[in-house]
Amino acid sequence: MTKLYPYLAFVKKSFLGLSAYRFNHFMGILNTILRIFIFWEIYRALYGGRTEVDGITITMVATNFILSMGLDSVFFVNDYYLPDRIQNGSIATELLLPVSIHGRMLADNLGHALFQLLFHFVPAVAVSVLFIGIAAPADFSMLLLFLLSALFGYGVLWTISFAAQMLSFWLINVWSIMTIKNVFINVLSGSMIPLWFMPDWMRGVIRFTPFSSIYFTPLQIYLGQLSFSEILHGFLIQFFWIVILLSIGMFLWKKGQKKLVVQGG
Amino acid sequence: MKNDTIYLAGVYTRTIMKSWFQYKVDAVLRSLAVFLREATGIIVIYFTLLKFESLNGWDIHELLFLFSLLFLTYGILIIFFTGLRDFGRTVRNGGFDRFILRPRGLLFQLIFSNADWFAAIGHGSLGIVLFVISAGNAGITWSPGTIIYYTAALIGGVMIQGAIFLLLASLNIYLLETNSLKELFYWNMRKFAGYPVSIFHKAIQFCMIYIVPFAFVNYFPAQYLLRKEDMAYPSIYMYLTPVVGVVMYLAAYGFWRYSIRYYNSSGN
Repeated sequence: MTKLYPYLAFVKKSFLGLSAYRFNHFMGILNTILRIFIFWEIYRALYGGRTEVDGITITMVATNFILSMGLDSVFFVNDYYLPDRIQNGSIATELLLPVSIHGRMLADNLGHALFQLLFHFVPAVAVSVLFIGIAAPADFSMLLLFLLSALFGYGVLWTISFAAQMLSFWLINVWSIMTIKNVFINVLSGSMIPLWFMPDWMRGVIRFTPFSSIYFTPLQIYLGQLSFSEILHGFLIQFFWIVILLSIGMFLWKKGQKKLVVQGG
Repeated sequence: MKNDTIYLAGVYTRTIMKSWFQYKVDAVLRSLAVFLREATGIIVIYFTLLKFESLNGWDIHELLFLFSLLFLTYGILIIFFTGLRDFGRTVRNGGFDRFILRPRGLLFQLIFSNADWFAAIGHGSLGIVLFVISAGNAGITWSPGTIIYYTAALIGGVMIQGAIFLLLASLNIYLLETNSLKELFYWNMRKFAGYPVSIFHKAIQFCMIYIVPFAFVNYFPAQYLLRKEDMAYPSIYMYLTPVVGVVMYLAAYGFWRYSIRYYNSSGN
């Protein structure tokens, strides 16, 4: 436990550091609410008075947007944690510290995520639920499994970024790579188009990617769309992606460290 | 206008190009990334419309045409207005002081010393692709009249958004920090702008027509060319885009001229 202590300090530091920018934070909440609201209005127009399409009710669609965009605000990932440190050279000092840089990176992101959960997710979801409404969780056990699956979903999102960040050992500027990565996440994770409505061939493709494990698996559990064996399957897939992506990241990390050249001091 | 103005604008442009294309692979990747990021909304609407066929009476080609106006105007806008979009930074780091000391117009320098060619290429090419795909399929009949109308609407759309940037840039002189305002009034509103304004809540429609008039950038011009049934606004609005553009731009320019007299440097 004492080994974890420095990381907890990093979590706390990152958490407290955020409370300084109140106006920006408020704008962020407004932004999330607006996003949810836009998509809900679009779907209301698309449904055009129908109560359900392919067995999916408009309330389920609202739940999809509220939960995935709400979780999106919680699932904080700093894509530039490592790239920034490699570019400005501070990675050299970080590597000398007696704490793992990966642990620090995770701790920093977790502190941010915790802050977002309390001060972004809660108000944004509360306002959205008030104005739009949301489906209740299927039952209490599903709610718990949803929370667990959401945690793994964050793991998948985080490890995708972790692996991508390692590319900064070879590239001068990873902005393009990160942007393209985030386009894939936005389109294929279901946060902008509920995956129920994807064409079959696209769903076939998405099955072989980690993206549906981020928000859509937790959402399906929440709505009670999955049986217990399907839930177990979903967890295994999430776990599989975390392990694979983490291994790729660590492999690149080992390779990259050897060729790391820090320019100047 | 001095006689070497065009020459000077050319020198600025070449310098920007050179610095951007220093790293060629990075330049190509960057343009691709901007292109894909901006295409996200299009990809989403495409897949959604495969399932739902129409959005409040607009089919996929008509919606893409609506989007194409947004991207084309932004692609043109960003060649001229990057300096104003990023003006807050120029003021904060004192760069504006340098501009003031030079024997050329401030707007001229701001416009030509900054041009985000990647955004211009990313947005512009997306706009052109969308226009090519949609303009024929949406059933627009092109005649000399509609071509003139379309060109005037494009210019009007650029001026409307340019006026917003110019207004926010002027506010920077008083406020130093206007990013949050820009986020609220420009980028947030722009998120709605790709869709027919008629589908949204009345309050949002009001904002889109009278406060941050994106509806005049794409919805009303598209209505003139497409005549959809959801046009529940005075039909004169379909002709007003160039007027709104010119009026807004002149007002913003007046405010800019008035504001720069009060410019105080942010310090060292």
